[in-house]
Amino acid sequence: MTGADIVLEALQREGVDRIFGYPGGANLPIYQQLPRYPKLEHVLVRHEQGAAHMADGYARAGGRPGVVFATSGPGALNTITGLCTAYMDSVPVVAITGQQNTNLVGRDAFQESDVIGCSMPVTKHNYMVKRVEDIARVIQEAFHIATTGRPGPVLIDICKDVQQASCEPVWSDGIDLPGYRPSFEPDLSKLEEAAAALARADRPVILAGHGVILSGGEEELISVAEKSVTPTGTTLLGVGAFPVRHPLALHMTGFMGTGWNLKAVQNADLLMMVGMRVDDRVTAKLSEWAPKVETFIHIDIDPSEMGKNVRPHLEVVADAKTALQAMLPHVSIEQPERRRSWLTQIDRWREEHPLKYVRSNGHLQPQDVMIEMYRRCDNEAIVVADVGQNQIWAALWWNYTKPGLFINSGGAGTMGFAFPAAIGAKMARPDKPVWCVAGEGGFVMTAQELSVAVKHRLDVKVVLLNNFSLGMVRQFQDDFYGGVRSEVDLSEMPDFVKLADAYGLPGICVQSVDQIKPAFDFAQRTAGPVLIDFRIDPNANVYPIVPLGRGLNDFWELPDEYA
Amino acid sequence: MSTPNGSVPDRLRVLTAVVEDHPGVLTRVSGMIRRRGFNIQSLSVGPTDEPGRSRLTLTVDAGHAEVDQVQKQLDRLIEVIEVEDLTEAPRLSRELALVKLAVTGPRRDRAVAEVDRFGGRLVDVGAATVIVEVSGEFERVECFLEALRPYEIVELARSGPVAMRSGTPAKQEVSQ
Repeated sequence: MTGADIVLEALQREGVDRIFGYPGGANLPIYQQLPRYPKLEHVLVRHEQGAAHMADGYARAGGRPGVVFATSGPGALNTITGLCTAYMDSVPVVAITGQQNTNLVGRDAFQESDVIGCSMPVTKHNYMVKRVEDIARVIQEAFHIATTGRPGPVLIDICKDVQQASCEPVWSDGIDLPGYRPSFEPDLSKLEEAAAALARADRPVILAGHGVILSGGEEELISVAEKSVTPTGTTLLGVGAFPVRHPLALHMTGFMGTGWNLKAVQNADLLMMVGMRVDDRVTAKLSEWAPKVETFIHIDIDPSEMGKNVRPHLEVVADAKTALQAMLPHVSIEQPERRRSWLTQIDRWREEHPLKYVRSNGHLQPQDVMIEMYRRCDNEAIVVADVGQNQIWAALWWNYTKPGLFINSGGAGTMGFAFPAAIGAKMARPDKPVWCVAGEGGFVMTAQELSVAVKHRLDVKVVLLNNFSLGMVRQFQDDFYGGVRSEVDLSEMPDFVKLADAYGLPGICVQSVDQIKPAFDFAQRTAGPVLIDFRIDPNANVYPIVPLGRGLNDFWELPDEYA
Repeated sequence: MSTPNGSVPDRLRVLTAVVEDHPGVLTRVSGMIRRRGFNIQSLSVGPTDEPGRSRLTLTVDAGHAEVDQVQKQLDRLIEVIEVEDLTEAPRLSRELALVKLAVTGPRRDRAVAEVDRFGGRLVDVGAATVIVEVSGEFERVECFLEALRPYEIVELARSGPVAMRSGTPAKQEVSQ
């Protein structure tokens, strides 16, 4: 078998059915063999970054690793932003890149680049393959590493002559990686202690992150919250893990979180953090974060997260679902009446600090668009958001009464992520409606992938929140950088309806509130991709927001006179 | 610079790691250390008794990170098989120094006597220079160099420490 055949055979053995890729000089041997593997459906992207984001969205929506092909040099380097996005959010992706011939590596040959060096900081692991005998083992290891423990991207760089060489592949039954111990049985005594602390606490809060979604632990989270009567919020990446219309829901935390969530975190006496990193966007100013907490409980699959940002009193290294499941039988509540007063207090905060937005200035408000979109999502659709104001509006107006999938680039904050990721998500879950929410700035960074949506007639609906500016940057400049509006004007943008037309999909433009519903009606009754260009209030802002450098207590809200 | 054994400041961690002897392993280790804002004070690498495995001894400044992050981040690397933070453990550490001195005649005799006094060895004799070696814990090497300072040190090579937990086996597997 040639190396190229071994690559494709190995992918089939791993259960891969779809590859997002782009051919070029250094992976031509693989592409030559690809038509002989009809079970591997290839999606020809328009830029390799798109392939990486599609694989990422595919993995997040489908729960299976996404696979990327790219050629050497620029092809491989174009995947780096996408790999970093997957790495920051712990998403299993396997990227297979072509490399120059083994005897030319290191000689600055054509389209040669040090892809191993470049991808090292943004992958969980990477491999350079210089012997055909290694391909089978390396691919098996790569999938194992990508999908186990804390998931993440793995890159395999395969020299072109190795793809052309031949050998009889040896398929191993087991993985021999002595330095890799990805699974941890949760420490039961610690979980019992955690459950007891939760039962005793007067003002407990649970915060859930992406780990809950990655482990599929949403139901267990709800059970633990309900049985212990603990108010529960999520991080930005955890949105969807806990139903926001649940009476215990605190919705999103962090520096653009809801007021009642921030109040609860800042007044809690116990905080249980599940499947999250406790990063700077969650805590804002760390020294002022959760000041009244006496017991921090941290559950995460990655031992290095314990004490990285916040030193827990109780740490449990385990997969979130497994840990919550094991904890559940021990969960109870000691003083229901004291807990009732905590819940009453939170209800009061919810009333005092509701989500507010400008309703009366005659402009189309992004929140009105989100509210209508979520009404049509009907607790079922997958929503993929880009980065910036659109991302936070989409997160804050999330309204599901059961767990659901909200996909965004929370860690890396990669503009241009949403549309290709939505394509990947739709391919992984053709049964689910997929809505892509993006600003015009991020959307044009990867808009070339419209061709992919058209070619595959994918039912991805693009909700463009178009304010002709880099809205989040503009808001920061207005509020935190002395009001100097510097290089945020995007008034020179394509006519998105014509752009959609040029790519071969229907596009419509919405300028007023009364056009919102007809536009969504049109999008929903039209098969295949649709783009709606919502011309929103150019001054619409994200609220609440914590001023940069300040603690969560200092969050700003929209003044009542504008609401 | 690292400081004497037993009085390592909090931020400096002394670790040993057994790693797979693959191309690029050192890049992974050093890249992670730079990326996380740590700083390598010393690093030595050598083979172990097991083929395909190398042992690193590192002295690392944890920078602004929590000090246990150094070990935890090393442990995340797939090719790091085991890693031990010896900072607070009873340990034995040794460093080698080679010193070239420009001494002749009676000065050379006095220098060699000084080397003897510290248990060092004369390992090379040239017309205008000699090379002497000493091994020992950090402090001993420092004292040795201090004693030789009156003589002209024209070249100095230090290995950085290699370290090992003293007494009981490092890992339970070892005793099985």
